[in-house]
Amino acid sequence: MLKRGDVVKLVRVVAETHETEIGCDECFERLDSFAETELCGVEATGAMPLVGDHLDKCADCRSKFEALLTALRGT
Amino acid sequence: MRERTNEQWLAELRGPNPGEALADLYDLLVRGLRAALGGYGGDVEANFGDFAQEALIKITGNLDSFRGESRFTTWAQKIAMNVALTELKRRRWRDASLQDLFAWREADDRGMADTQLTPEQLTLQNMVLGELRRMVDEELTDRQREAVVAVLLEGMPVSEVARRMGTNQNALYKLLHDARRKLKRQMEAAGLSPQEVLAAFEEG
Repeated sequence: MLKRGDVVKLVRVVAETHETEIGCDECFERLDSFAETELCGVEATGAMPLVGDHLDKCADCRSKFEALLTALRGT
Repeated sequence: MRERTNEQWLAELRGPNPGEALADLYDLLVRGLRAALGGYGGDVEANFGDFAQEALIKITGNLDSFRGESRFTTWAQKIAMNVALTELKRRRWRDASLQDLFAWREADDRGMADTQLTPEQLTLQNMVLGELRRMVDEELTDRQREAVVAVLLEGMPVSEVARRMGTNQNALYKLLHDARRKLKRQMEAAGLSPQEVLAAFEEG
């Protein structure tokens, strides 16, 4: 089932895998404070690395984060 | 909208007359949805009121879960974004089944090697590809393999794959994490360095 064109995508994401990662629920719980930290001009990943790592890997959660950030900037 | 502290929001929403606070919160949520998702077009914009209403129900039903680590309005907007994006993803992917996705993959010609490769480069790629295929086919469970293909390779949202696999987003992310960890350990055991693999497949 693995095709030649899949290799780069798969190996990149495997290479970035850490033994400890948080799940979507835990990321979502912390997303509001992560977003506010980002809005303050502080690099939020430095303060909350597990959340930042999850957002790098999970497109679903990243889209929620980006939407929240845009909403906060626009209101 | 009147400015409120977190404590004022909670007190008003829990109190005997939450009407004004609810109305202000509803307006804020709609403005936030418009700011974040206004680019999706008229069909989506027509639903902002519904999304805000559904978010209000979740917010007022879960006030005890607000931990005070952010502004209350930020927490509320997070819930509204979650409601909206979950529904929008469901609509976007509603006609996609995992079976169709896998069938399409079988038919899609993504297996041809770059004709510019030297024989040595091609041999290396074929060796690595064979080894990775073995790991995916033999070391992952059926569910792990399905999830890896659907989410990591085909880009289907975790939430949508989870729905089709009869689980939830959080559990599916953990399943994927376990699969990734397994593949990482397998690659290390086989002496396959990710950097070398990427170099072999990104050259030429």
